[in-house]
Amino acid sequence: MYRRNLFANFMSDNSAAPKSPFTPHPASPGAKRFTNALLRTHENKEVKFYDDLIKGRQVIINYMYATCEGACPLVTSKLIKVHKALKDRMGKDLFMYSITVKPEQDDPAALKAFAEMHGAANLPGWLFLTGDPYDIETIRFRLFRWNHIKFDLDLSMHTSMLRIINDATNRWVMVTPEAEMYTILKHISFADPPKSFEEKLEEHKAIQKKIDEEVKQYGYRKII
Amino acid sequence: MKRRMFFFSLISLCLAAPVTAFGQKGCESDGEPHRYFLVLAGRSGTFYDKSGPAFPMLIKLDGERTQVDAVGLSSIQGKRMFGTVPEESYREFMKELPAASDVMLRLEITSAQYERGLKVLRTWERRVKEDALLYPDVSMDNILLVKQVTESLNQCGEKEIKLYKLDWGFEDKISDNTLPSRIPFLFFKEMKRLNESLHVRDDKFEEYRSAAARPAKQ
Repeated sequence: MYRRNLFANFMSDNSAAPKSPFTPHPASPGAKRFTNALLRTHENKEVKFYDDLIKGRQVIINYMYATCEGACPLVTSKLIKVHKALKDRMGKDLFMYSITVKPEQDDPAALKAFAEMHGAANLPGWLFLTGDPYDIETIRFRLFRWNHIKFDLDLSMHTSMLRIINDATNRWVMVTPEAEMYTILKHISFADPPKSFEEKLEEHKAIQKKIDEEVKQYGYRKII
Repeated sequence: MKRRMFFFSLISLCLAAPVTAFGQKGCESDGEPHRYFLVLAGRSGTFYDKSGPAFPMLIKLDGERTQVDAVGLSSIQGKRMFGTVPEESYREFMKELPAASDVMLRLEITSAQYERGLKVLRTWERRVKEDALLYPDVSMDNILLVKQVTESLNQCGEKEIKLYKLDWGFEDKISDNTLPSRIPFLFFKEMKRLNESLHVRDDKFEEYRSAAARPAKQ
């Protein structure tokens, strides 16, 4: 049986069948850590947390709640700016998930109203999520845990952090949404898939060209 | 007879449903003649880090039988285990223990407090079963469990039980200076000091137990 499975796996790996665009890293913790909890989107669609939202994808996750008058609206407006800056990638290889910390209060309709109020309801690749409080708590601890009970029980601590995960490269990054746009985008890029040598060469050439132009114009390098 | 019983339980279920649906924290006592107890049991010096079993236990005396639910950190053949505490482990904490390395506080609670506590225990049992614990270190999970059970006591204005504030604040002398595995034991000791007058002694508990069993014998 084992040998048969091994052979089948070998055959499937070498077959010409198109692979799913989202392939998880072999070392990805998978559903065991992320959980496959059933969540509901602001469009009232049921989704499995790992299989439908995380598996093989690069995602930006934050926690919020619809009636929040503190950090959440500021964080959401910052995320809209991030979405604008990365609009070519959003919904294709980059996704954004805002999960409520108060699932008892926030049903899909409340989340939709919050998303519409901020102009985020129809932006591609951005979902607002709610679900069973038990599952939401498990996901919150698995992704945003500080390993200190005081901080972990303080819901406001989680509304002011962004977790960036690329399941295809198994990279995890965290950044505060209060940081400058440049810093947030840089942190998102830390989780980007590795670039080929040619791509890196092109990128470096473009940077060097910019530096040369500046030195020619001002006599020194202006932008760091 | 069976059909009538089924019909009766269906009606009582339908009547009870709105109460549980709208009662936000489960504050309503059902007015049953049963007696309910919360036991905070702990021991030090069992494991290598000088910590030991520590768990909350909920007891319901309902005449014919005594229902015991205990979830937390226990010692099974010298090994630290988190989850449902087996009978042989909780049995020794059913009676007061004189040693300084042991702590046992037994408080009489209302049915509403019992139900709220039981809900917390059931959630943690589910977490163990589904491998959905919140921390990689079970000592941290045990602190959360103990905190949630004790904090569920005074949710509906029942101010009788004095709570030690385990909040890592300035006045909390336990949490910042102690290993996580020893926090529940010291917390139970402090709870016992604060609620010494409410502690139900063995003789009183036996009295309650025999009184609860009496109508069933008749």
